[in-house]
Amino acid sequence: MIVCVAHNIISPLSSTSAENYAAVKAGMSALKKYDGLWGLPEPFVASLLDRNKFTNEKYTLDEQVVIISISKALEQTNINVQSSKVLFIISTTKGNVFLLDKRETGFPQERVRLGMMARQVTKHFGNPNEPIVVSNACISGVCAQIEAMRYLESGEYDYVIVCGVDIQSAFIVSGFQSFKALSPDECKPFDANRQGLNLGDAAATIIYTKKDKVNDNEWVACRGAIRNDANHISGPSRTGEGSFRALRIALGDLEPEKIAFINAHGTATLYNDEMESIAIERAGLAGVPVNSLKGYYGHTMGAAGVLETIISMQAVDDHNILGSRGFETLGVTHPIDVSNQNRTTEKRAFIKLLSGFGGCNAALLMAKGGLL
Amino acid sequence: MIKHQVFISPNEVKVDGKALTHNEKGSALLTELYRNHIGDYPKFFKMDTLSKLGFIASELLLNIEGDRSFEPREDRAVILFNRNASLQADTHYQSTIQDPGSFFPSPAAFVYTLPNIVTGEISIRNKYFGETSFIVIDDYDEQIIMKNLKNAFQDPMTTSIIGGWVDCSDEEHFEATLFLVYKF
Amino acid sequence: MDELIYTLKQQIIEALNLEDMKPEDIDENASLFGEGLGLDSIDALELIVMMEKNYGIKLQDPAKGKEIFKSVAVMADFIAKNRTK
Repeated sequence: MIVCVAHNIISPLSSTSAENYAAVKAGMSALKKYDGLWGLPEPFVASLLDRNKFTNEKYTLDEQVVIISISKALEQTNINVQSSKVLFIISTTKGNVFLLDKRETGFPQERVRLGMMARQVTKHFGNPNEPIVVSNACISGVCAQIEAMRYLESGEYDYVIVCGVDIQSAFIVSGFQSFKALSPDECKPFDANRQGLNLGDAAATIIYTKKDKVNDNEWVACRGAIRNDANHISGPSRTGEGSFRALRIALGDLEPEKIAFINAHGTATLYNDEMESIAIERAGLAGVPVNSLKGYYGHTMGAAGVLETIISMQAVDDHNILGSRGFETLGVTHPIDVSNQNRTTEKRAFIKLLSGFGGCNAALLMAKGGLL
Repeated sequence: MIKHQVFISPNEVKVDGKALTHNEKGSALLTELYRNHIGDYPKFFKMDTLSKLGFIASELLLNIEGDRSFEPREDRAVILFNRNASLQADTHYQSTIQDPGSFFPSPAAFVYTLPNIVTGEISIRNKYFGETSFIVIDDYDEQIIMKNLKNAFQDPMTTSIIGGWVDCSDEEHFEATLFLVYKF
Repeated sequence: MDELIYTLKQQIIEALNLEDMKPEDIDENASLFGEGLGLDSIDALELIVMMEKNYGIKLQDPAKGKEIFKSVAVMADFIAKNRTK
C-alpha cells in the first residue's frame, strides 16, 4: 500500500499543515483585492504570499517555498534525502515564468526551465536523482501523486517526495483575465452567483512510501486515474466525460456510502462547477457531500492537488467535512450536496477531484487505514 | 514494446527509421508535413509550435498504424516529455503583455502556455478519453521516459500509449521522438 | 461601411489564424460561430481583444459578444457606432 508519511503546506494562511487546517476550519481566507499590483491595469482578487518574507537571493520565490515546504515535511521523518532511493517529483504549471519579463534580471534565464528549477531543489537537498516535473495544467498535483504511487509500486524507490507549487505573476493573472475567468470578488464555488475564480500562491508537500501493513491512523493513496474529455482545449466537457471516467476508476468497487466527501476542483467558474456536478452524478456519487477549498486559498494551480489532499486528510482525521467558503445557493443543474458549514462525519475515505486546460481530469481515492 | 516510431527535427523526418522526403526546413517543414500528410484539420494553424509538432508526429505514427477509425476509446494514453515545457508559447504570450503601452493579453496565445495542451489536441483529434500527461525533465533521457511509460500501464485500462519526446525552444528549433508503445 | 467590412475580415483572418482564407471567402452575413466559420469560445475572446486593440472598444461582459459576433456585418455596425480609434 502507498502510505503518506509526512506533509506540509506553505500558504498565505500559515506554514504548517496543522495551522493551515485550523485556519480553514475557522473559516479564514487569504483572498484580498489588489489594485495596480505588478503594473496590471485591472484589479484582481488573489491569495498571495508576502514577498518581503522570502529574502534568499540565491533562489527564486518558487524555489524558496518548495525548499521550505519539503524541509518542513522532512523534519517529521528520518529519511536520508541524499539516497538514490529517494525521488523528487515537482508539480507546477508555470514555475519561474516571471523570468520571461524583460524587466527581471535577478536570475539566469535558464531557470525558467521547469527541470532546471527542480534541479535547484534536488541540489539543495543533495539528492542524486534527476527530478521529475509534472506539468499537466491544473490537475498536476494529483497527477504527481499518481506518478509517485506508480514509482513506489514498481519498487524502484523507497520514498517519493511530491511537492506542488505555483507563484502568481503578471503573466498568469493577465492570462486568466484575458480569459474573463477571474471573479471581481471572492469566489463562490458551486453558487448560483459565481462569477469566476481567484488565483493563489502556495507550495505543498506529501512524502509517500510503500508498506505491506498499515495501522488505522495511516493515510493510504488507494487508486487514482487521469482521463481526457477529448472535447476542447479550454472549455470543460458538457457531459463531464473525463471527470466522470476518472471518478469511476478512483471509486472502483468501493460503496459510495464509505466516502466522507468529494473534495472537488470547484474553481467557481460557470462551466467548471457545472461540469463537475454532471460528472459526480454520472458516477453515482450525487449522495456524497461535495466541497471546494477555493474560497480559502484561491486556485493554487500546480499546488492545488497536493494542498487540497492534505487539508482533506486532516478534515477526515478531525471527523469534519469542511464547508465551502463563498457558497450560498446551489447554482449547478445537477443536484449535489454542497454546504458552507462544517459538518461531522465518521467516514474514513475521500476523493480528490481536479480538472484543467487541455481537457484533462484526475481523481484520487484516499482512505485512512486503507480499504478493508 | 515499441510498435512504431517517428522522428522529426527541423531538417529530418523519419518514420520507423525510414527517411520521409520533404523540401522545407524548420517551421515551414511542419506546414509542409501537414499539407502532404493530413490536410483536413485547419485547427492546426491555430496551434503553438509544440502542439503542431506533437500533432504532426502523432498523425504520422497513427497513419503507419493504419487504424484511423476515430472511434472513441479509453485504452490509449498520451504521455509526452520534454525539456522546455511551453517556452515558445510562453515567450509569444509574454510579448503581448511586455509593453505597458501596448498591453493586449491574448487568450489564444495564453491557452497554449501549458505544455499538456498538445496531449489534449491529440486526444481531441482521435477521441481518446484515456490518460493524458506531460512530464518535464531537463535532459532527454530514454531510460526515464521508458520507465515512466512502463509505469503508466499500471492504469487499469491503458493498453497502448502514444509517448515520447516533443520539445521546442522556438518556432525554428524542435525535436520529436514519438513512440507507439504496447503493454509489455 | 464596405471598407470597414473588408478591413474587419482581414483582421479576423489574422487574429484567428484562419490560414488559407481570403476576405472574399467570408460572407459578411453568415454566422461566425457554430455553422459558418465554425469559431469557438477562444476565438470569441480573441475577437474581444482584437476590437480593443484596433478600435478601442472595451467589452467587459463576454456574453455580450454573442450578439456582436453574429456576423461580420453586425460586428462592423457595432464598431462603427462605438469605436474610439
